[in-house]
Amino acid sequence: MNTVTKRAYVLLAIIIAFIAGVALLGVSFATEGGKWATSRVNGHLYSGGEIKSAGKILDRNGVVLAQSKDGERIYNSDKNIRKATLHTVGDTYGFIATGVHSICRDELTGYSFVDGIYTLINTGEGSNVELTIDAKLCAKAYDALDGKKGAVGVYNYKTGEIVCMVSAPSYDPENKPENMDSDDKYEAVYMNRLLSGLFTPGSTFKTVTTIAAIENIPDIQNREFECKGALATAQGGEIICNNTHGKISFGTALTKSCNSAYAEMGIQLGAGVLEKTASSMGFGKSFNVSGVNTAKSRFDLEGAVDIDIGWAAIGQYTTLVNPLHLLMIAGCIASDGSTPVPYFIEDDLHSVVGSIKSERLIQQATASQVKTMMRNNVINNYGDSKFPGMSFGGKTGTAQVAGEGSHAWFMGFSTDESFPYAIVVLAENGGGGSDVAVPIASKVMKELKNSL
Amino acid sequence: MAEKNEKKQKPKKPKKPKHPFNWLSMLLFATMFQLISMMPVIFLSEEINIEVVGVFGGFILTEWLYFVCARWFAKQRATELEIIAFTLSGIGLVTVASVYPNYALKQFIAILIGLAAFIVLLAIMRNVEVISALRIPVAVAAVGLLCVNLVMAETINGALNWISLGSFSIQPSELVKVAFIFVGAATLEKLQSTHSLTRYLIFSLGCVGALFLMRDFGTALIFFATFLVIAFMRSGDIKTIGLISVAAVLGAGLIIYFKPYVASRFEAYRHVWEYANDGGFQQTRVLSYSASGGFFGLGIGEGRLRHIFASTTDLIFGVICEEWGLVVGFCVILCFAFVAVYALRLARHARSTVYSIAAVASAALLLVQLSLNVFGITDLLPLTGVTLPFISRGGTSMICSWALFAFIKSADIKTYPILEKQMEDK
Repeated sequence: MNTVTKRAYVLLAIIIAFIAGVALLGVSFATEGGKWATSRVNGHLYSGGEIKSAGKILDRNGVVLAQSKDGERIYNSDKNIRKATLHTVGDTYGFIATGVHSICRDELTGYSFVDGIYTLINTGEGSNVELTIDAKLCAKAYDALDGKKGAVGVYNYKTGEIVCMVSAPSYDPENKPENMDSDDKYEAVYMNRLLSGLFTPGSTFKTVTTIAAIENIPDIQNREFECKGALATAQGGEIICNNTHGKISFGTALTKSCNSAYAEMGIQLGAGVLEKTASSMGFGKSFNVSGVNTAKSRFDLEGAVDIDIGWAAIGQYTTLVNPLHLLMIAGCIASDGSTPVPYFIEDDLHSVVGSIKSERLIQQATASQVKTMMRNNVINNYGDSKFPGMSFGGKTGTAQVAGEGSHAWFMGFSTDESFPYAIVVLAENGGGGSDVAVPIASKVMKELKNSL
Repeated sequence: MAEKNEKKQKPKKPKKPKHPFNWLSMLLFATMFQLISMMPVIFLSEEINIEVVGVFGGFILTEWLYFVCARWFAKQRATELEIIAFTLSGIGLVTVASVYPNYALKQFIAILIGLAAFIVLLAIMRNVEVISALRIPVAVAAVGLLCVNLVMAETINGALNWISLGSFSIQPSELVKVAFIFVGAATLEKLQSTHSLTRYLIFSLGCVGALFLMRDFGTALIFFATFLVIAFMRSGDIKTIGLISVAAVLGAGLIIYFKPYVASRFEAYRHVWEYANDGGFQQTRVLSYSASGGFFGLGIGEGRLRHIFASTTDLIFGVICEEWGLVVGFCVILCFAFVAVYALRLARHARSTVYSIAAVASAALLLVQLSLNVFGITDLLPLTGVTLPFISRGGTSMICSWALFAFIKSADIKTYPILEKQMEDK
């Protein structure tokens, strides 16, 4: 009798296991409930796979980019704004995974652990999401790309606010083209190229090589290189330059974007030092931009011989860069080597605390040297008339792509303390950096300057 | 000093009453909760459904009638189990009526039959001799029922565990659950004999095997877990039980190896979002809609899980979470944990091992079945398709739930005032 009643404690073990299961279930609801409630299977929010009921999405000036009316989702009335902000706002079907419609489902539906989606069901309204982008500026940038594929990003390197984020190709969500899958014009149309794209950087990568040289080659500022129109490497093969520059100093080498000088620097630095510098500058790393993890820039010299290192030092070989990462590098050069991680969705943390997380990609002393060099580059090559009143610094790139036209690049920044903005422009297969990318940057920066 | 004196002079607080929640206040509270939850169901459609109103009225009347009779005529001093049983049955009845008004009457009848079974079983359990005399016939009847089931079963939802009798369909495995515990507890009176041990093992194997053949893996698992609890209670032999468990796991492994389609039924487990439109369909809907409800629910009738297949049977926990709120949903499942603790206390002081084992096995069975249901549809465990005791729509399941509560209550000497008095006299 006694032993049997003692054995009843086996039930206690079952009860404890059961309570543990209930606790686990409760914790799961608390931590994953938002994801579950806002998933596509929820018929309260979605109809035919399309989100119907959600709060408004607003730009920095309160311009409505998307809202729900009578169970329908409608976008801004201006077609250009719709196309220019598509990748930021996202689509209602969730094809654009990095859009606000996808990443802010919790906020848009007003979901909370305690109330579920009760508010939305009963008032028909979720919470609004405010963005840091300026819709008009985005439209200007989209126009300036003029039908080319590519991306434009502008951010405030002191606060991290992204004021312009454009990815092309785009489409009008109110009038979605039917043949997008088969039409080459719409290649990777759902990708936000600024956040998720990876492209050959070309000469914009010379900023990285410059930084590696300043930090690792003694007396580099007084060094002179000899450009014979190409640099022959010891094992054979040569890296061709855009010109025959003759005797050329370190500073001029950047202004002239001399491949011979940079390839020589790269080979002298060696694979290890270049890789180390690239890695400390954020290559191989993903940045969390308002909940979107950016694509990781790639710089890999494993098994590379001199000629490969030479090409890599001028942003060719297997090197790939994410446009937003390049924008952050521009921001770091402008502001003593560190930058707040950019963001495009206003949230409590940013509005109360300011920038939350800073990234130091460059040493302070190095950054100011490169900043001067890039400032000179704008003065000497493109002229301050392109960026009036902004004391601009920058670097172009013309990245060669096998079998296709070159990518046109520009990365730059205002050195004016009262106008702390940096920009990156990419026109895929668009042509030369200074011919194509600089005019786009010029248009966008002028518009931004005028709007403030 | 003055303060101290003042404290001393304070009058002593009146002694707390022994039962802060007496049965009447508990009953009133339960009735209030039921009335509040019934209101939206009655006014859900524009025309008031007289049948539903009648069923709700009948339910509350039955509840009051039972308690008045139990308290005043049957001299019951502990009615916590019945309060819980009626509350849970009520939540189930209201939910079922809100989704399918036409099923309300059937569900109410099931509750009435369940209550009757509860009372009859309490009477049977009063006497160990009666239990002993009945165990062989019950065992034979149980195995016979399962055999009949195997022969004339209908495949419903992939499992062959239903028998249709006219407009009624019964699930024999639910009735066999009751028999299984009855036989398991009764046999124990003669536990020294290896003969009876072997016979019980054969009986259990027969039941679990038949369920496997019916492809009702969920119920088979419930039986197996209950068997382990009973076997442990009777023998305390952890080694043998461990061996049996290992053998069972190996056997299950062999089945999966030779019949891969069994495993494929569970391929969505822990990956339900990847199979959201096939193997994970029900789980993803339960999770999504339950989370939508928040703590206090979207309101009865406002949910969408109700439109998903099996919403009032397997998935009813999700409907309650979505429409009544997570708080009610979690309270419901925690009620069973309370009942199990209650059963454990009774089992420790039961007047015979029969009652200890019956109470512990019943509570264990309820918890295992509840876990397979609630954790199954929320993807913490594989989905096996078992019902939520007392709440899911279905008559046999309701009868079984009430019967299991009878086993727990029979372990309480207070259930039988005359026996109690006799013992005191001795």
